[in-house]
Amino acid sequence: MNYEISEKEFTLNIDLHQRLTLLAKEGDLEVADTKQVRANLEKTLAVLADTPYLKFGLEAVPGFNGLASLMVAVEVVADISPSICLSVETSTRVFGKILTQWGTPAIKEKMLPPLLAGKLIGALALSEESMNVENAPLTAGGAVNGDTAEISGKKQYVINAPVADWFAVAGVAEGKSAVFLVKAGTPGLTVGPRKNTPGFQGAAIADITLENCAIPADQILMIPDGQNMLQTLRMWENQVLIGASLGLMKTAFDGARNHAKTHRSGGKPVIAFQEVGFKLSDMLTLFQTSQLFAFRTAWTTENVPADAESLTLCAKVFCSESAEQVAGEAMRILGGAGYETGNPVERASRCVKFLQIAGTSTEIARVKIGDAALGLRN
Amino acid sequence: MEFSFTKEQLMFKKEVIRFAKKEIVPRIQEFELKKQFDFESFKKLGDFGILGLHFPEEYGGGGADVITTVLAGEALGEAGVDGGLTLAYGAHTFLCADTIFSHGTEEQRKKYIPKLASGEWIGCMGLTEPNAGSDVASMTSTAEKKGDKYILNGSKIFITNGPIADVSVVYAKTDMEKKHAGISAFIVEKGTPGFSAGTPLIKMGVCTSQTSELYLSNCEIPAENLLGKEGDGFNMSLQTVEWDRSALLAPFVGAATFMLNRCVAYAKDREQFGRKIGQFQAIKRKIANIRIFGEAARNLVYRIAWCKDQKKPLNHLEAAVAKLFVGDWSMGPSNDAVVLHGGYGYCHEYDMERIFRDSRLAPIGGGTSDIQRMIISKLI
Repeated sequence: MNYEISEKEFTLNIDLHQRLTLLAKEGDLEVADTKQVRANLEKTLAVLADTPYLKFGLEAVPGFNGLASLMVAVEVVADISPSICLSVETSTRVFGKILTQWGTPAIKEKMLPPLLAGKLIGALALSEESMNVENAPLTAGGAVNGDTAEISGKKQYVINAPVADWFAVAGVAEGKSAVFLVKAGTPGLTVGPRKNTPGFQGAAIADITLENCAIPADQILMIPDGQNMLQTLRMWENQVLIGASLGLMKTAFDGARNHAKTHRSGGKPVIAFQEVGFKLSDMLTLFQTSQLFAFRTAWTTENVPADAESLTLCAKVFCSESAEQVAGEAMRILGGAGYETGNPVERASRCVKFLQIAGTSTEIARVKIGDAALGLRN
Repeated sequence: MEFSFTKEQLMFKKEVIRFAKKEIVPRIQEFELKKQFDFESFKKLGDFGILGLHFPEEYGGGGADVITTVLAGEALGEAGVDGGLTLAYGAHTFLCADTIFSHGTEEQRKKYIPKLASGEWIGCMGLTEPNAGSDVASMTSTAEKKGDKYILNGSKIFITNGPIADVSVVYAKTDMEKKHAGISAFIVEKGTPGFSAGTPLIKMGVCTSQTSELYLSNCEIPAENLLGKEGDGFNMSLQTVEWDRSALLAPFVGAATFMLNRCVAYAKDREQFGRKIGQFQAIKRKIANIRIFGEAARNLVYRIAWCKDQKKPLNHLEAAVAKLFVGDWSMGPSNDAVVLHGGYGYCHEYDMERIFRDSRLAPIGGGTSDIQRMIISKLI
């Protein structure tokens, strides 16, 4: 057991903070048109590629502790730019893990080096309109015909869709779960208009449609028997959202604390009032509890895989709901200042809404956690 | 970061659960209803080695690390041991025995620790006063040195194990002019003239633990019963905070697992509207909430324990966060557990109402939740 952040992790956090703060000063990472989103992502990925950050969870990095180290670092990224965090993590961790876990040697050789060098942007196309708590089978898919496969289907809320180089489309091939790797621009692939969202406005999200989209058969990654593709992909998504929760809580808490120490009322800083001081105490309690929950979940994913799914769901519910509470309280502490567009607390308050909806929604997560405890579901 | 336990730690936890389910749990209902302390169960804890788990073997202890000690407390809660007994154990081992062990002379250690570790003697700690709760410096109990004796006067309140203790660690002021620096700690044995306990207080929960006032009326004790030096008392009481935020909170974490297991069993068995109630989403939600609370809380408690094992100075912020979370956030899950059981949850034999009542102490004992908020808001 070790509850300490290592010196290397600490140093990396400082380094990431400095590098990303510089980037954020060059231009707003949170409000951007699609072209700018792509440019922001390219710049950020290039910066991150100079650090061990992109490798976490995908390959061993000496001196670091895999996903646990990632969870420590991702808080820094999400604090500076939640949108960049969502985009980078979706590309690197979710798309990247699909490659490392299910990719053939040839696919890995072709796609992992540019991904780890920050020169490839990936997206996961998973959600379908018919999806529900019972994990209804995916409808996207297609038939293999010799060296090619033609796939069709509709996917919604695809993070990075308007800016991605490659799509990992989850679906069914030959009656089995499969991921189709589709290059941007492939005939038959249509990216819909970018979604207009209240939060994560520096990330690009859109629906996609695949109509008889032909891809080489070697771009179909078949999921081995015994593995639950949908559950695994959701777990990876949920872990991204857990990390984003930490960063948004940091933003909200730091903003509220700094305001409470500097804003004066009745001749004293407002933190001196118990109503404010106690709010901050509850916020910090939720934040620290979420951090430890997230770190243990990340560690468990790599070290006790059998416990990873249910613990991730628990952490996802706790961290995302805590983020909403912390951001809400932060706004109340800031008062009018917290309601002004451009204030990080205002931004965090908009972004946290997404965390409970995305991945496995907190409502569905609770059903699944209950089912697992009751032995009704794995 | 790394979150694994050793095989030995996990095996020991299992053993404690097995022992508690067999030896202690079957006796709880009887003593709960009578609101009496179960001396036999307490002695069994001593015989099993739990009461002195972390003390060195030469003092009759088990030589365990803090994490193992915390896991033992969690195991008791997980087995379904009542909060009264685990509170009595906590006050005995960590607030009394550990203070003597940590600050006592070799003679004091040899005289008291083996008997406390075995459960032959029961210990308590007298710190809180009617008008000095969280504001310890306001205490009015005095200790006046006369020759080779101290004369103690004053009263203490809410003292767990007060009516049954053989040995007490009592805090009193040796210098009324000073605030915290005027507080000293003394060992007072049962039967010392001028030292008495009140009748047990009738409490909402933790009913098998006996709680009372302690009265000091010209109570003469040998000067060698001073623990450490005069004026060290406040710091000694602060050192118990590490145990309070780890080992004393651990049974609450275990109780969450106990609630979860019991709720799951009930939901799988109980039928309404032609199906098991576990198939209703509202029931699943309650079960999920209990699980989520338990998983969130345990990390905070383990963190304090791990830091203590590493001999790191107590991080008061982290300690207050742990206490605040376990205290305040345990309310929802324990309420969910009662409601999930419906009418049965309101009845004694189903245990949930007991846990609900026992858990009400978590935001009060050892520093209320609002005191934790005061600490946190000052430290940030």
